[in-house]
Amino acid sequence: MSSQRVDPIRLEVLKNRFASLTEEMGAVLMRTSFSPNIKERRDFSCALFDRDGEMVAQAAHIPVHLGSMPLSVAAALQRGDLAPGDMVLLNDPYRGGTHLPDITLVTPVFFDGEEQPAFFLANRAHHADVGGMSAGSLPLSNEIFQEGLRIPPVKIVRAGQLDSDLLALLLANVRTPVEREGDLNAQIAANRVGERRLREVVGRYRLAETERYCHALLDYGERMMQEVLAAIPDGCYAFEDLLDDDGAGSGPIPIRCELTVAGDAVTVDFSASAPQVQGCVNAVRAITLSAVFYVFRLLAPSGMPGSAGVMRPIAVRTRPGTVVDCSFPAAVAGGNVETSQRIVDVLLGALAQALPGRIPAASCGTMNNLTIGGCDPRSGQLFAYYETIAGGAGGGPSGAGASGLQTHMTNTLNTPVEALEHAYPLRVRRYSLRPGSGGAGRCSGGDGVVKELQLQSEARITLISDRRRQGPYGLAGGQPGRPGRNALLRNGECRELPGKCTVDGRAGDVLIIETPGGGGWGG
Amino acid sequence: MTDPQPPSRLLGVDTGGTFTDLVLLDGSAVRTYKLPSTPDDPSRAVLEGVRHLLGEDQGLVFHGSTVATNALLEGKGAKVTLVTTAGFGDLLQIGRQNRAQLYALQPAGRTSLVPAERVVEVRERVLADGAVEVPLGEAEVERVVTAVKATGCESVALCLLHAYANPKHEAQLAQALLAAGCRVSASHRVLPEYREFERASTTAVNAAVSPVMSRYLERLQVGLGERPLRIMQSNGGAIMAGTAGSEAVRTILSGPAGGMVGAFAAARAAGLERIITFDMGGTSTDVGLCDGRIPLTSETVIADWPVKVPMIDIHTVGAGGGSIARLDAGGALRVGPESAGAAPGPVCYGRGDRVTVTDANLYLGRLRPDRFLGGRMPLAVDRCRQALEELATAAGLAPQRLAEGIIEVAEETMAGALRVVSVARGFDPRDFTLLPFGGAGGLHACALAEMLAMERILIPAHPGLLSAVGLVRADVIRDYSRSVLRPGNVAQMELAELFRPLEQQAVAEMGAEGIAGAALQLEPSLDMRYRGQSFEITVPMAGDFCRTFHQRYQGLYGYRDEQRDLEIVTLRLRAVGRGPRPDLQHGLCRASDLSPLVVEPLVVAGHERPCPVYQRSALPCGASFSGPALIVEETATHLITPGWLVRVDEGSNLLLEREGA
Repeated sequence: MSSQRVDPIRLEVLKNRFASLTEEMGAVLMRTSFSPNIKERRDFSCALFDRDGEMVAQAAHIPVHLGSMPLSVAAALQRGDLAPGDMVLLNDPYRGGTHLPDITLVTPVFFDGEEQPAFFLANRAHHADVGGMSAGSLPLSNEIFQEGLRIPPVKIVRAGQLDSDLLALLLANVRTPVEREGDLNAQIAANRVGERRLREVVGRYRLAETERYCHALLDYGERMMQEVLAAIPDGCYAFEDLLDDDGAGSGPIPIRCELTVAGDAVTVDFSASAPQVQGCVNAVRAITLSAVFYVFRLLAPSGMPGSAGVMRPIAVRTRPGTVVDCSFPAAVAGGNVETSQRIVDVLLGALAQALPGRIPAASCGTMNNLTIGGCDPRSGQLFAYYETIAGGAGGGPSGAGASGLQTHMTNTLNTPVEALEHAYPLRVRRYSLRPGSGGAGRCSGGDGVVKELQLQSEARITLISDRRRQGPYGLAGGQPGRPGRNALLRNGECRELPGKCTVDGRAGDVLIIETPGGGGWGG
Repeated sequence: MTDPQPPSRLLGVDTGGTFTDLVLLDGSAVRTYKLPSTPDDPSRAVLEGVRHLLGEDQGLVFHGSTVATNALLEGKGAKVTLVTTAGFGDLLQIGRQNRAQLYALQPAGRTSLVPAERVVEVRERVLADGAVEVPLGEAEVERVVTAVKATGCESVALCLLHAYANPKHEAQLAQALLAAGCRVSASHRVLPEYREFERASTTAVNAAVSPVMSRYLERLQVGLGERPLRIMQSNGGAIMAGTAGSEAVRTILSGPAGGMVGAFAAARAAGLERIITFDMGGTSTDVGLCDGRIPLTSETVIADWPVKVPMIDIHTVGAGGGSIARLDAGGALRVGPESAGAAPGPVCYGRGDRVTVTDANLYLGRLRPDRFLGGRMPLAVDRCRQALEELATAAGLAPQRLAEGIIEVAEETMAGALRVVSVARGFDPRDFTLLPFGGAGGLHACALAEMLAMERILIPAHPGLLSAVGLVRADVIRDYSRSVLRPGNVAQMELAELFRPLEQQAVAEMGAEGIAGAALQLEPSLDMRYRGQSFEITVPMAGDFCRTFHQRYQGLYGYRDEQRDLEIVTLRLRAVGRGPRPDLQHGLCRASDLSPLVVEPLVVAGHERPCPVYQRSALPCGASFSGPALIVEETATHLITPGWLVRVDEGSNLLLEREGA
């Protein structure tokens, strides 16, 4: 921190200004995009970074993106050749990404004729399809090459000009190119709006002063988090929970965490977790960072800034080659959506020992990822439908868990039934709560959801779901929530499906998905 | 208007949380009255005010009411039963499945307006194209009616899948339920638009508030006798009380709509078409942007429930006079959203002990302790000074700097709201005039205008009564809509055919309001998007509307794509009967000398300096002077900072312009 005094008033003013800048980027992205994942389900995030790539502000969007975006900026920075008017696109999990459908666009922002960018703006959006072995690009893969097009950090825009050759290459490798192009335009528009607002701020406060307050915001976040950590009793707490399987025949897969609290700093060690697996539930380290970041933000008071400073007092240890820090070319499609949820469950389980009166039982613990792809007989066009389905929240000291709610690392909306039936050759037969699925306890877990979808034509269904064998844990004497269930109804016969599977569906088939209830709390 | 003899007396009554404001226009005379609201039965204060101003005389009464909103927010709406397609009974409970707070250890679930035991599922199914897949049989209708009766509800919300595309089943059920003596809100009548949760929510809100509103309006009408009663809707137009009772969901933002109509009318009278309104209250601030017309939105959410009928587009932020200042653990000065409200109120009101924006204004000399509410409410100056100095010590700041800082942080939040309605939507605030109203708007107007590089401010007459003024200027308006989901290149013939039922409904229903023939204006528009998107832009159905769409899209988002297919999602029809448009002669403007009440020290831009304080009613017409100055009136105070020139115009508005601009 520089020796000059930080004015608490200006600190608050700029904190709010940076946050609203990222919110505005998000609004543009949502309103102009084409993927249902972005426009209806709001599976995207926006953030601002300083010249060192430290995150200064982020909009409150999807938790799983937020701790992992800094690595995207670092990957863009590593190119070493950024110039004014450039924008860098990437999705490679091994170079700044998380899983392939999440495409990140990074814009360096230059000021005062400097050679190096003073800031970066980034947005990440979940595209409906990026190619690979199955529509929707969340396949039951065994290596990353099957999951879709890998984009290392490349300049999609150079000196303000879109690289149309590069774009053509990208679009040739996806199932729904018109939609992809529209989404990329939306991402570009969002960063441009962010840049305009950033220039207004720098125009008013000057570059040196704006940067000084970026540093002050990082320090501020650090102090806020230190307060939170100091309130946790010192000690060492360990917890283990399981992923059902990897979709390729192995499982269960243990994830272990050892939490050490010492004063106003903590160490979270996942080294003892399972080695990486052949199936698609491997998580790159960025995802583990996001999950840890998320859990500690849960403990913080409202108004905690989304700056990287918040992470400074938290050390995260992982071992390369494990399911929480996998190495190339492990398959990662489900790591972002499934393993991230279990990492949260494990860390909260450890924290519950330190703060038994505060931490609720486990929530649903899976995003219940459903992808359906095929050819729409009404238009002759290929389609890729993707959705995640809510479950029950865990009960806790402040009452019963909520039913039918997105929990922890995701907060995506559902696609309205009327919009879904208009857009895809699918009919929804039932969308209701799943009574009795929440775990019993003094404060019971929330109920999961039942969704039944009928195919109107041949289509390939891919399911990546977990907590099908073991329900979300209860705490303080509460019972676990009921595990989820997948089934296919064909010609009046009901066939149980595994948690992770690919099924070639026929017209008339009804897919039944029942999501887990939350764990109960208190005996 | 087709009234044979338009009533010469027009009375606007706006019920607020604390006060009920009345404005009477009798020919060219204006009379005002303000009395405490009676929240347990708002009609008592309304009728007392009416008696005070009208006596036994006749007059047309326009009313802005908070009855529907309060019934909803306080959980005092009617018991509602939801009737919906089999398999979707938990529709209102699940909503869009997302949580409101992203980072909460135990996130709150959605609170449904209808408990699970008052949901009745129907065996029937309509598809996205309107085709019937499972017909609705007579026996099923009978079963549903019996089941609904068994729930013992006061009101039924009926929402079947795809009823916007084919309302047959809903109409069938509505008829049977009505015949059985039920009160029914059917989604194809309330909001025939796609997206089942939002439509069902809007319908359920209507079902919950309509019985309450109807009872209230009946009571009010008895008290008013022969005098006709019109109710302000959230869309800025008035409708007859009987209609308002059965479509109460359309009156949720009745009060703020009056304020916006009043503000825009005042601006127009002063020759201005482009304004940004700024209404600062105790706990929050409402802002809106008028670009030649009052803007509408259909994305409103009240408490937990989407209400998708068109409403005046007002953006609200949690910063007001009562917003509390504190230092957080990281050492930043936070102001709001926590508010001291009316109780305990700011420290200077004598009961609170946490420093607020109002206290900071008082500390800096910007509020006159002897002139607050016309001198009827003395302020606790010493108490305020002590509290502020304590907080300053904790923050390590000089008290004066802290007071200015509190205002600066609050103004940043308010400026953020002004940016949301302007720059974030592609409007340059420099092209607009800032129009502050409410009691404290004028204290912050100069600073906010400077933050947004705006060069003009209009402070209208009666800034504290603007909502009531807006009521008497309201047009009769009804909005109609229908989702059609057609390609952008749909044939003109087909489009006209799709609009026809809306037009027929408009002509019939506006006829019942007394608007017909040349007095009735129909304004058709289209909600359009690029095919595949989820958010639409409304464009007038005139000329080359596709071209208009591309232009507006470019203005909003900075790019366009003319190669892409367009989609018409929803048809909209606005039916308007022009209101009385009375000429407002406020009688405030008089010829006299410009002389301050007093000259007192005031802190502006870090310096204390002597500053003249003027009584607004004593300002002569055509007077002109530069800041710094403080202008006080009964219900408002205005701070003119250095660099601003004030002129009093013929309409007794205060027009502020940046000097040297």
